Amino acid sequence: MKTIFTRKDAPLPRQDSAPSQLASLTRESSRSSIEQPEFALELRDVHRTFGKTHALRGINLTVDSGQKLALLGPNGAGKTTLVRAICGRLRIDQGEIKLFGQPVTNPSTLTRLGVVPQDLAIYSDLTTKENLRAFGRLHGLSGRTLTERVEWALEWIGLEDRKDHLTKSFSGGMKRRVNIACGVLHRPQVLVLDEPTVGVDPQSRHRIFEMLDELSAHGTTIILTTHHLDEAQSRCDRIVIIDDGQVIADGGIAELIEHTIGCERQVRLRIEGFLTASIPNLEWDPTLELFVAEINEPAEELPQLLHRIRVCGGSVIDLEMHQPNLHDVFIYLTGRELRE
Amino acid sequence: MIRTIIQISLLRLWHNKAELLLTFIVPILFFSIFAWIFGSRGSGGSTPKLKVVACDEIDSPVTQRTLALLQNTKSLRFHLGEQSNSDFVKPVSRESAEALVRRGMVTAAIVFRSKPSEDSDTTSSKDLNAHIPNTSESGGSKSPAIEVFADSFDQVASQVIVAFVQKASMAAQAEHAQEEAVKLQAARQAASQQVQGAQSVAIPGINDPTVRAIALSSQPTLSLEAGNLATIAVPTIEVIDVLGTNKSNPIVAMYAAGIAVMFLLFSATTASGAILEERENSTLERLLCSRMTMDHLLMGKWCYLVIIGCLQTTLMFSAGAIFFGLNLLGHLEGFAVMTLVTSGAAASFALMMAAMCKTRTQLGWVSTILILSMSALGGSMVPRYLMSESIQRVGQFTFNAWALDGYNKIFWRELPVKELTLELGVLVTCAFVFMVVARVFATRWDRG
Repeated sequence: MKTIFTRKDAPLPRQDSAPSQLASLTRESSRSSIEQPEFALELRDVHRTFGKTHALRGINLTVDSGQKLALLGPNGAGKTTLVRAICGRLRIDQGEIKLFGQPVTNPSTLTRLGVVPQDLAIYSDLTTKENLRAFGRLHGLSGRTLTERVEWALEWIGLEDRKDHLTKSFSGGMKRRVNIACGVLHRPQVLVLDEPTVGVDPQSRHRIFEMLDELSAHGTTIILTTHHLDEAQSRCDRIVIIDDGQVIADGGIAELIEHTIGCERQVRLRIEGFLTASIPNLEWDPTLELFVAEINEPAEELPQLLHRIRVCGGSVIDLEMHQPNLHDVFIYLTGRELRE
Repeated sequence: MIRTIIQISLLRLWHNKAELLLTFIVPILFFSIFAWIFGSRGSGGSTPKLKVVACDEIDSPVTQRTLALLQNTKSLRFHLGEQSNSDFVKPVSRESAEALVRRGMVTAAIVFRSKPSEDSDTTSSKDLNAHIPNTSESGGSKSPAIEVFADSFDQVASQVIVAFVQKASMAAQAEHAQEEAVKLQAARQAASQQVQGAQSVAIPGINDPTVRAIALSSQPTLSLEAGNLATIAVPTIEVIDVLGTNKSNPIVAMYAAGIAVMFLLFSATTASGAILEERENSTLERLLCSRMTMDHLLMGKWCYLVIIGCLQTTLMFSAGAIFFGLNLLGHLEGFAVMTLVTSGAAASFALMMAAMCKTRTQLGWVSTILILSMSALGGSMVPRYLMSESIQRVGQFTFNAWALDGYNKIFWRELPVKELTLELGVLVTCAFVFMVVARVFATRWDRG
């Protein structure tokens, strides 16, 4: 896995990313010298412009089989363009995109790819079963195989009892599940999902991720875009953040935190009274309107901090322990909220 | 509260340009189109000319004069005959004239009959609705017996032509009688001079100048008046409907095609809007991510629209056969060919429209305007023979006109399929061109 950290208009990462990049490149090159790598997905120097807008500026990305990758980025970062390019629906100006070593535009390659669009790309005036059969046929399934796959999909999405109901009568979560099922009927080795949980309730989101976990357990490579950072953090084993058409971060969540904002927990304190002296590591955060201190070992450092505050005349009336997460990383790298 | 609701509604209307157009611009547009078609503006006030052909079996001075007068009638346009290369009206044979009417080349044929008798053919095929009764057999008439072979597809034309023929025939007879009178006058003068000379020598008994003057003037005058009365007579005109006689309900055959083609276009365009819906909800994206290509998609949609179009038209004509006595079974072959080709062209048109539009709403109003205009110009709403010549020419550029001509040839003129070559050729070309345009526009949905 290659790890990249770049930030253009924000303070430099606390730890130098160069060694890690070097390490990952070394890892990759040594791998290629031993065996011909066949990544599930491979993007090399992908460029795409729309008029004067550079939507993609040299995207490099490799995804191993069975990985669950979350693609994040603020609006207009190039996520949808990238997803469309991966699905072979967008002609790229430069570079190459390969699926298991074959160009993604190759028709035979497309059968190994499953696509779940953000919109409910199903026929609302067909029943669940009719939808599944239709999309199964479009992916080349027929006869007994098709029947078996449809039966499996109905069970997988938990809608066996609603198989003969028109999908327009379904709730948002149920429609989403049918939407996903239509994309996986042909058992794709790589599944690309664009915002699979947008607009659904937490229970349905949970159910959808269970379904994806099941696919992942069977070796399907999953690439998804999402605006739910908590989902990406908890459900995916790799995070790729893109901004301004470039990959600005790529790695596991722990790696990302460690290489950007660091692993220190932040203690946020509301203090009553006037501190007679400055306390090392304790600072006033005007944004939060709280005192903040960063600590590595809460069990040891927190009692010491509280003791110093008391000695300096302060009285802690509220305390909150904040653990670094993907949201912090995202804000740190992009300088923006995800939905901005 | 009420004021707020009105404000909101007005603002929504202002922001919805399609609704705004439908509310204020489209009615004016339609009014203009119909005014242009049926009003005098834009057409230069030209009334439609009736195409006729003449057959002169008598070939007398009166019939020749009648033809000459008819040729000078502005509302008639004479078929010049196959060998004619000038404006001179070359009469054709009776059979050719009837064939021309049957094929729809002319609206009517004017036949000066050599045997004004109870011709079994003509009497048996008289159409009671269109028949103008023999107006006179005024004692000892020398007026020519005239037949008008009419095509009751144009329900007005035969009556107009009969009136023109009647007028021309009587005028010709009058002119002829006048010439005869002039000749008689000349003969009378010559005779009177001879009589005068002879009487002065041979009738010495009549010496009274008054009695002599009466004797000289009375005889020729009486003979001239008798000659005039004998020559001018209202002609006998029989209108023979050469096409509508054997049809149980001739009107249905005409209108079934018109309505069928218009609704074929409407339903095909509505159905083709599904592709825009699929694009809007990303189903199209998903379809194209599978093995399917844009060519597959368009061909699949086209085949579906053709199937639906064939079913729709068959149902429509079947209803016509069941409820209105349309002879569908007697024209199955022609009907099948025309329906297949018309449905194909309608499907291509619908896909072209869908590919050119951005949203289903846009497709809805653009296609409504276009189809209604084409239907009005092409004869689906009102028969084209009622339109001015210039509008009829414009109508030739519409899809409907060619389809209707094809169906009319089958059901009305009862022509074999081989006679549909032109209509089928135009419709097939339309289908191909429309599909090519649809494919070109659909490239924007292809790989970006």
